[in-house]
Amino acid sequence: MIKKVVLSVILVLTQLTMASQGTRTKALPKDGDIEGWTKHRTLQHYAGEDLYEYINGGAEIYHEYGFVQVVIQDYINDMGKSVSVEIFEMVSPASAYGMYTLKTDSKGKRIFVGREAQLADYYMNFWKGPFLVTLTGFDETEETRQGLLNIAEYISSKMPVGGDKPRIVSFLPEEDLVAQSLKYFTGFLGLRNSHPFFLWNITGFEHGIKGDYFGGFSFFLFRFEEEEEARKGFQSIKGQKDRRGRKLFTAIYREYLMLALGDVDHLRAKQIFDRTRKRIHE
Amino acid sequence: MDNKIGRREFFKKSAKIGISAAVGYGFISCSGGEEVASSGGESVDIAVAAGSDYFASTMKAVEGLGGMSKFVLKDAHVAILPNSQSRHPGTFTKPEVIRAVVEMCQKAGAAEVNCLTWLTPKNWEASGLDVAVKEAGANLKFIAAEEANFKVVPVQGWKAHQEVMIMKEFYNNDVFIDMPITKDHAGNKFTGTMKNLMGLNYRSNNRLFHREDWTTNPESIQFLDQCIVDLNKAVKPTLCIVDATEFITTNGPFGPGELNKSQKIIAGVDRVAIDAYCTTLWGLTGEDIYAIKLGFEQGLGEIDLSKVGIKEITS
Repeated sequence: MIKKVVLSVILVLTQLTMASQGTRTKALPKDGDIEGWTKHRTLQHYAGEDLYEYINGGAEIYHEYGFVQVVIQDYINDMGKSVSVEIFEMVSPASAYGMYTLKTDSKGKRIFVGREAQLADYYMNFWKGPFLVTLTGFDETEETRQGLLNIAEYISSKMPVGGDKPRIVSFLPEEDLVAQSLKYFTGFLGLRNSHPFFLWNITGFEHGIKGDYFGGFSFFLFRFEEEEEARKGFQSIKGQKDRRGRKLFTAIYREYLMLALGDVDHLRAKQIFDRTRKRIHE
Repeated sequence: MDNKIGRREFFKKSAKIGISAAVGYGFISCSGGEEVASSGGESVDIAVAAGSDYFASTMKAVEGLGGMSKFVLKDAHVAILPNSQSRHPGTFTKPEVIRAVVEMCQKAGAAEVNCLTWLTPKNWEASGLDVAVKEAGANLKFIAAEEANFKVVPVQGWKAHQEVMIMKEFYNNDVFIDMPITKDHAGNKFTGTMKNLMGLNYRSNNRLFHREDWTTNPESIQFLDQCIVDLNKAVKPTLCIVDATEFITTNGPFGPGELNKSQKIIAGVDRVAIDAYCTTLWGLTGEDIYAIKLGFEQGLGEIDLSKVGIKEITS
């Protein structure tokens, strides 16, 4: 009986892996799919711990968010321009969204590809379902940027629709929120990379979200498994100051810890805390 | 061989002409249409050359310290350590910088220039640096990641890591030029001269820098920083030349990420001072980076840039 169950589990996992492999490789444009662009170099594939071979010294953060596998394919066009495509399969849409927020910032241009996308000077990112897609051009010419867009749109069109953002994202008050400043994190590395000067040791949270607000401050919302854990987090940072001597404002509500950091006063902090409580409550 | 590159004849000759860890030439001049500015003292500890011609900037930065012949003597065997971690823009040492360094070493009379790496040929091919190194006339030496190719080196004054394992091939050289690109790093926020030395250390030994809980425990990140400082106690570069021409300030170390185009090359010997200087290029200070702070506290160099002689050269 146990043997049968184990075999069934292996079979299901194998089928799931094959299905997602299919999605990833089928989504890649073949020669002739996008005018002027053809495949260049061989397809690369890394799964699980092998990611360290591809991203030496930087794989940990992908693992923190939940990395499954990645395929990499290069393309070149008639003018010798090149684009590299990386399709990361993460464990869930929330994981893909988290890595997407980490790899983008408020300076990029919001575009409509996949579930959410951003075009920067020479690269772009989008996420859709459990996939995070990063496309890198090797210069900032219009031709390369157009190539990024065309390839990204093709890939997105071949991916199944789906994937919701984590619910905690909806708890951030929208008023005065700086567009594309959200960072969703599931662990300590993501948290540290969500803000240039996050110095405090908040541990044990399930996940969290950060948004920047006009006026020059950042607001963090952490969710813990239990209220008691949130209370511990609160105690660990209560009364602390940032590197410029500015006070941190903190509050807890149920299993959530709230933190306002930067150019923010008591009234503004209270206002955002109240709005957040209301949104959680609803 | 001891743990310092530059023993044998190099040290003897160096002693005669006064080369030491601190570079104290102390001349500031204006010539050839260049603007030169200095700060922090009369001697030149760091030379910074800015401009869009990265080959020329590399030359000028080293000249600002007195020229390559101050560091590389005739018939010296020179090891260089550029960063070839990724092929994304702003993540690897530029080919022009490598070409300039190799050319300067050759002109100074180096017997050979060896680019050492335990990364795979695929890494170097992807960044295009394999061609750059070979065309420049240096030897690209791939050191297989096998324990037998690395030498156990005890760390004097260690605090977190008792011994490191450095490529044996490294010790066949007299001079060591550390050539990182400065950039963001998701783990400890910053890569520069000190962190780059992990490229000489046995990969399995580098893994020991990372405790199992290093991604969840803040103390373990600090442990990683201390290990980097300990590694720097075991290996001391003769010269550091940092590529800060175009580098990523987000999504490091692999990229792609936001590019800072400072167009600067920084040369010097004091790793702490150089790294502290590089942090200022993207709005940080040396104090913001734990490894730099530890390096200063443990005597590797100066973190206070007002005490560092900085020569800025703009073409």
